[in-house]
Amino acid sequence: MRPFAYAAARSLPQALEQVGADSAYLAGGTTLVDLMKLEVLTPRRVVDINGLPLRGVWVDRDGLHLGALERMSDVAAHQLVADGYPLLSQALCQSASAQLRNMASIGGNLLQRVRCGYYRDTASPCNRREPGTGCPAVHGENRGHAILGTSDSCVATHPSDLAVALVALDASVRLVRRGGATRAVRLADFYRLPGDTPHLEHDLRPGELITRVTVPPLAWARRSTYLKIRDRRSYEFALASAAVALDLAGGRIRDVRVAVGGVGTRPWRLPAVEAALRGRPLRVEVAEAAAERAVDGARPLSQNGFKTTLVRRVIVRALMRVAG
Amino acid sequence: MSGSAPRTVSVSRVDGRLKVTGAARYAADQPVDRVAHGYLLLSTVARGTVRAMDVAAAERAPGVLAVFTPFRPVELHGTGNPFSVGHRWLPLQDTEVRYYGQVIGLVVAETFEQARDAAALVRAEYDAHPPAASLPDGIPGATDPGPIMGEPARLEFLAPGVESIEAALAASEVTLSGRYTQPIKHHCAMEPHAATAEWQDDGLTLYTGTQSATLTVGAVAAALGVAPTQVRVVSPHVGGGFGNKIATWAHPLLAAAAARVLGRPVKVVLTREQTFTVTGHRSGLAQTVTLGARRDGTLVAVRHEAYATQSASGGTFEAAAHTTSRYLYRAENIHLDQRIVTLDIPPPTWMRAPGQESGSFALETALDELAVELGIDPVTLRLRNDATVYPGRNVPWSSKHLAECYEVGARRFGWDRRDPVPRSTIDGDWLVGTGVATANYPGERFPASVRIRFRADGTVGVDSATADLGTGMWTVLAVLGAESLGLPVDRIRPDLGDSTLAPNIGAFGSGATASTGPAVAAAARAAIAELVRVAVTHEDSPLYGVPAEEIDYDHGRLVAPGVRIGFPALLGAVGLDTVEATGSAGPGPDHGRYAFTSFGAHFCEVRVNRWTGEPRVSRITTVIDAGAIINATTARSQIVGGVIFGIGQALLEGSRLEPATGRIANANLADYLLPVNADVPPIDVHFLDHPDTLFNPLGARGIGEIGTVGVAAAIGNAVYHATGRRVRDLPITLDKLLD
Amino acid sequence: MTPGSEPDATPAGAGLSRRGVLRGTAVASAGLAVGTAAPGAVPTPATAAPGGVAPASEAAGVRPVDLRLTVNGRTARLRLDPRVTLLDALRERLGLTGTKKGCDRGQCGACTVHVDGRRVLACLTLAVTVADRRVTTIEGLSEGDRLHPVQRAFLDHDAFQCGFCTPGQIMSAVALLAEGHTGSDDEIREQMSGNICRCGAYENIVAAIRTVARTGAAR
Repeated sequence: MRPFAYAAARSLPQALEQVGADSAYLAGGTTLVDLMKLEVLTPRRVVDINGLPLRGVWVDRDGLHLGALERMSDVAAHQLVADGYPLLSQALCQSASAQLRNMASIGGNLLQRVRCGYYRDTASPCNRREPGTGCPAVHGENRGHAILGTSDSCVATHPSDLAVALVALDASVRLVRRGGATRAVRLADFYRLPGDTPHLEHDLRPGELITRVTVPPLAWARRSTYLKIRDRRSYEFALASAAVALDLAGGRIRDVRVAVGGVGTRPWRLPAVEAALRGRPLRVEVAEAAAERAVDGARPLSQNGFKTTLVRRVIVRALMRVAG
Repeated sequence: MSGSAPRTVSVSRVDGRLKVTGAARYAADQPVDRVAHGYLLLSTVARGTVRAMDVAAAERAPGVLAVFTPFRPVELHGTGNPFSVGHRWLPLQDTEVRYYGQVIGLVVAETFEQARDAAALVRAEYDAHPPAASLPDGIPGATDPGPIMGEPARLEFLAPGVESIEAALAASEVTLSGRYTQPIKHHCAMEPHAATAEWQDDGLTLYTGTQSATLTVGAVAAALGVAPTQVRVVSPHVGGGFGNKIATWAHPLLAAAAARVLGRPVKVVLTREQTFTVTGHRSGLAQTVTLGARRDGTLVAVRHEAYATQSASGGTFEAAAHTTSRYLYRAENIHLDQRIVTLDIPPPTWMRAPGQESGSFALETALDELAVELGIDPVTLRLRNDATVYPGRNVPWSSKHLAECYEVGARRFGWDRRDPVPRSTIDGDWLVGTGVATANYPGERFPASVRIRFRADGTVGVDSATADLGTGMWTVLAVLGAESLGLPVDRIRPDLGDSTLAPNIGAFGSGATASTGPAVAAAARAAIAELVRVAVTHEDSPLYGVPAEEIDYDHGRLVAPGVRIGFPALLGAVGLDTVEATGSAGPGPDHGRYAFTSFGAHFCEVRVNRWTGEPRVSRITTVIDAGAIINATTARSQIVGGVIFGIGQALLEGSRLEPATGRIANANLADYLLPVNADVPPIDVHFLDHPDTLFNPLGARGIGEIGTVGVAAAIGNAVYHATGRRVRDLPITLDKLLD
Repeated sequence: MTPGSEPDATPAGAGLSRRGVLRGTAVASAGLAVGTAAPGAVPTPATAAPGGVAPASEAAGVRPVDLRLTVNGRTARLRLDPRVTLLDALRERLGLTGTKKGCDRGQCGACTVHVDGRRVLACLTLAVTVADRRVTTIEGLSEGDRLHPVQRAFLDHDAFQCGFCTPGQIMSAVALLAEGHTGSDDEIREQMSGNICRCGAYENIVAAIRTVARTGAAR
């Protein structure tokens, strides 16, 4: 860990003032402290924002709002979330461990870094960590890596379960920058594809801070699930996951949301799958046919070809589970 | 008091209170004044030499006391030895790089943070060459490793008139062959290796977690060029060993040498990542098992070929065939061939059930394949081939009850309800299957001694330089001490994990209890005799002058006609604080006349998701024939732990060695998957009660490792039964089961 | 340990801009790979004190932080390098070695402690961030000789072997009982899956927690 200066921000304006080019905001610390120890992240100044009033879970006519500093465990257990958006609750509950969920914030979860072993090892090349050094994962250890949205520069999977569920729900993040100006960005647009610039992970400008996440109203999100498949039964990132919400009427799919995780370089919404399901009766054959579209354009690597099958199965299984 | 097997008790661990309150001190927990912190530097290439190291920035960093490198080494003597140091070289004595993650330096600073962060400032330059780091690529060049446990690596027993194993196989009514592979695996004891070294005058006290304080003393003294009497190793609690805390790895040597140079104590704690390359692992293997049988299931020929990874640095490879197919089943023709593939990788070492773990996966899976082929129940097939004498030696087993293991296990598990047809049971989204496999592990005894010390305060010390790795040795000493002396357990004060205690080679080979237990009884006899001698020779004793043979020892009292005195009163009367004696025990006279082996049977139920393929173990019954059980509570825990080790082997674990770089790509606990609580189903453990008094007076053969053996095969066989798919490559992950 | 007189204590007031950063270079040539132990960066102090040794704080840019750490009801005053995690502060500064370092990366759960009653991982918690909050470790669980019911249950159920993960398991279990997710064995298993036990004491851990949950002894 590189030496750094520590400061605790007492207000939002102060936090935005304190942060500079080599700074990092500290919330739960589960990503930042970990990666600072590995010297993957080397901020010279750490601004502790845990004292900021970015808390709360509430619903208004714009939908469900999650304060960026709310802890994963608290959001998962919140009645408004558990009742209205089971997929969010389930995505959170299947993430990490109880201890980490008590620590990690919602904002931090969305900004967590990839789990690629080359990214985490400063002795290895990595375009995301050190642009231009190359990507050993393309021909190396890539069983857990992405098949969708990859480039020759980076094939790392986006690790957040929550982000997958939020993308399915068309959620947006509210950002604030120095001076107090705010903007809202759809989460689906917030994450960038790696392309030639995998080090640019998202649309967060220097010093900008996530203040809250907003999920638009969606009454039928009550019928939803998050299905996560992994080698180990718990405490592991996804090999493949699916966030599904269903609007069923008389056995027919009136509307549907499908996003998948563990397979994309960012949380992967599947409009083609949704379109193939809309208006159809919910049967296994229908789900299987629609799920074929999930792997449009997929580029399997040397060790993760199974994901093209797995992700389709996860979608089918999630749909059938939600259908009950 | 001794000579007959003790009764089985169920006792809570005597060290339990220390462990549930956080008071048990492991190697990195020992409070040592003025301790400096050391942090290891590891190579980032696998083969070549360190050309230069720039340590200037690290030396300037705050708090840094020293940076040791091959260019500025600490002084160590000798060349290393796979059986003591774990590899054939000593750290920092040359610039050669033998594998990725080899120690190439040590930074010592005032604080942990300063040492760690200064270490990141060191820059090394290498002349590097491409490493050999692929087992498959190395198989054509595999070599004979030399004798294995006294027998040639290529070993063959043929029936009279049979010319070759090939001929025997060709003449069999049915032959079947399978190739079984498994990756390198790591022990991953929860306690990362650590050492704190403190010199006082010319004496070194080394706090380090070790399975053998005795071996550690030897290795450290030799490397430091001091007499063994100058080294004391203290290791009261070991946070898991599983075979990886027998050899003395680089860190205690460097800590001790640095502490000597710097004139103050040094503590070196390995990071989790560093444990993967600085310490040992289990070889990766490719095995081929070929079985020849009659239609009725009688085995005619067994050929078991094993290729195990070995390190160019030396180490202890996995001898899969000689530990399983060598004697597990009766076959007229047995052919074993163990080869090693030498790679530029860290040294392998012993890991829980070394040899049996991998060998049983191959053999017991092959047997299941044969059962399917012949349409014979897999339990029946094994019982039909149960060996009654040790093949090739024609000695009987001292006590063998494998058939009873299967009978009892089948009943407890409900095996008779099984439909043998694969994919015949579906429960919702889950395909359900069951499988069995045999467990085996030899009974091992090593020379051991125990000191028993009667104390005037009414307690009795029972000590030995053995180790407790969670195995329950603290409690075994207390229980056996109490049993031998006829005293309640709470009056016994066990002590272990210190090289200055009664000599003992340590805890490995499942032999700690089997070796140390008889020594407790011997020590008790000797200590009682000494108590009597004091009683009859000391003028102030009420038993003064009484002929020794007229005195009986009874539950802590000496009894003679008209006199009955407890040892505390006696010691008080004669003015002694303690009376003590040491007793020893070793392999008995029957060694060589019998084969000593523990056996067991695993019954396993597995569920495989029909959509997404993930395999989950849903229940296990394990029946163990290990002779007498001393403490049922801790014994059961040991077997359960072994079974869970097997679940890891079967479904989760594997170190991912990059062929091009020789780097272990998943050297951490997020990517090297150990079973978590949610992975573990109810495990039903049953011990047969057949004390093996030919083996030792306790009748106990040891239980530390056998629980692991065969579990992976039982799970794999159940996966086949559930899905119809045979997976011969471990771990059995969902990608291998997707249709 | 003497709080307030830490060996790494450094004078306050160091600037942030004293450390220049050069990028390391990794060079590859035919048939010969040249790697670096730490290709991130090689810092060179912009200024050095006489004798070539920069004062600790200035060379490193560290501003130590004075804080009060309340652990098991006792408050200690510490001057800490901000790099110090709660885990290392407990173990190396306060002598509370019951909390274990199993991975230092949030991957095993051995360092589980309570902060304001919630179970968290001490290895990923910077000590400076828990100033003035309530930290409870395994050493603070029992009252004198009287074990906490969960400690008692772990003993009674042989819920450990080597004991190294045990403090973390127990702290996690105590929090879990308060969280109330102990409705079934499966729920307990899932909720305890952040605490790895290589010895495989899981079944007995579940039994211990189940017993305490049923008797309500934890509250």
